[in-house]
Amino acid sequence: MIVFDKVSKKFPLGNFALNEVSFEIDNNEFLFLVGPSGAGKTSVIKLILKELLPSSGSILIDDEDISSPVFKKVTELRRKIGVVFQDFKILLDKNVFENIAIACQIKNLSHSQTKNQVKEALSLVNLSKKEGVFPVQLSAGELQRVAIARAIADERKYLLVDEPTGNLDPKTSWEIMKIFKKLEGKKTIIIATHNSDIVNSFQKRVLVLKEGKLVKDQRKGGYNI
Amino acid sequence: MKEIFTSLRRTPYQSLAGFLVLFFTLFLSLVLLISLSFVNGFLSYIETRPQVTVYFQPKTPENNIFKVRDELSASGKTLSIKYINQNQAFEIYKNLNKDNPLLLEMVSADILPPSLEIYAKKPIYLPEIAEYLKKQGDVDEVQYQKDIVDKLLNLTNVLRRSSLIFFIYLIFMSIIVLTTSTLFKIALKSKEIEILRLLGASNNYIRKPYLIEGLFFGCAASLISFVIVIGTFFYFNPFLKSYLAGVHSLTLDLYVTKLTVWPMNTVFFAVMFSLSLIFGCIIAVVSSFLATQKYLKV
Repeated sequence: MIVFDKVSKKFPLGNFALNEVSFEIDNNEFLFLVGPSGAGKTSVIKLILKELLPSSGSILIDDEDISSPVFKKVTELRRKIGVVFQDFKILLDKNVFENIAIACQIKNLSHSQTKNQVKEALSLVNLSKKEGVFPVQLSAGELQRVAIARAIADERKYLLVDEPTGNLDPKTSWEIMKIFKKLEGKKTIIIATHNSDIVNSFQKRVLVLKEGKLVKDQRKGGYNI
Repeated sequence: MKEIFTSLRRTPYQSLAGFLVLFFTLFLSLVLLISLSFVNGFLSYIETRPQVTVYFQPKTPENNIFKVRDELSASGKTLSIKYINQNQAFEIYKNLNKDNPLLLEMVSADILPPSLEIYAKKPIYLPEIAEYLKKQGDVDEVQYQKDIVDKLLNLTNVLRRSSLIFFIYLIFMSIIVLTTSTLFKIALKSKEIEILRLLGASNNYIRKPYLIEGLFFGCAASLISFVIVIGTFFYFNPFLKSYLAGVHSLTLDLYVTKLTVWPMNTVFFAVMFSLSLIFGCIIAVVSSFLATQKYLKV
């Protein structure tokens, strides 16, 4: 479970990325985090990952206050969270298999476990035939799939996805979203996007952010820009 | 192992640069270490050469001379003491003057003094021994070349200190150069380290490949440098043999044991290889550790 309690993030120049934002996300929930560019979607993801620290308020993940200065289990926290970054963050000198295997190796899974998990993830994202290929040989859609495979390979409890369709054509975007649909109910999935077509078609919970404030929390919502 | 070779294949020039730095450092260290062992062995050998010779009055009873000899032996400061009685002194005199019958006629064993030739364990004991001998009643003369011993002591001290300073400098320089070259390599991978951190990798996980690669380079560089140094050593062996012809053996005093440096032996080479291997691994691991430390702050 993820709880944001009056979380604010203020940058040194005085502008707010988030301003007193509060919400709760249950285990295995599927939700969209929407809003225009600069609304604070990526800040929410970075705060959950403890890549950023809140200026005020508290963030609880599985009843642990990760915003506390005494919280030191950053590595353990991040091992619970699979992330699909907006810029993919794929390692260019490693092939597809190695990029995905990293997530399993970090958690000290055995060689055979790693191999099985990677094969399963590759099959889910439809990239089984490209495990030996290097990132420079892949299209943007395929890179996105590799990033998704890495985020889901070792069965992490949470999946954070930052703008999964931002760089993709409509057809590929829908294919990518189908992958997340398959994972529904198996883990907590938070997708940050400003693609209203996708959000509206899924009819899931939507948190709408605007200028750092939570302006709407709709259980089965849609979204209009 | 597979990961190391994959890394070597994918970044051949960076790996080669790192390896060459380590190789030259270890090669120089090994040459220096072997040279220092030889120099130290040779210095220890030279230091035992000076002696104190004490001449007793011709009529001194042997028991008195033996008493002095035994007291010196019991002090623990002497390496060996040789007693030369009047007859032996006369034999020596005859050998030295065998071409001069006139001199031989003039001298008999009775007028030659009995003597003790004393070799000290360390040259710093020589003045003390000489002073002790001068205080003995039957002593006629104590011969001890103070100036030569003092100069020799100064020289060996300067050599030992300068070699130690050079060795410390070499270690310091190696770590700086290797840390810098590893830092360059890691700087190129800072993006990768950032991604690994976000995926939940621990510091040890991130550091491990660099440490293992450093360890591999350390072992390979020390092995190759050892083979080259040993090859060179064998090539110059005939020259060394003729140069050190009069020297029975050179040993290095390691406090707990003595290591024979010359003649060539497998124990000495095994010790040199082990030291080179340990030194290579330590500097490779320390420099990798220092270099990764910079990028591992949360």
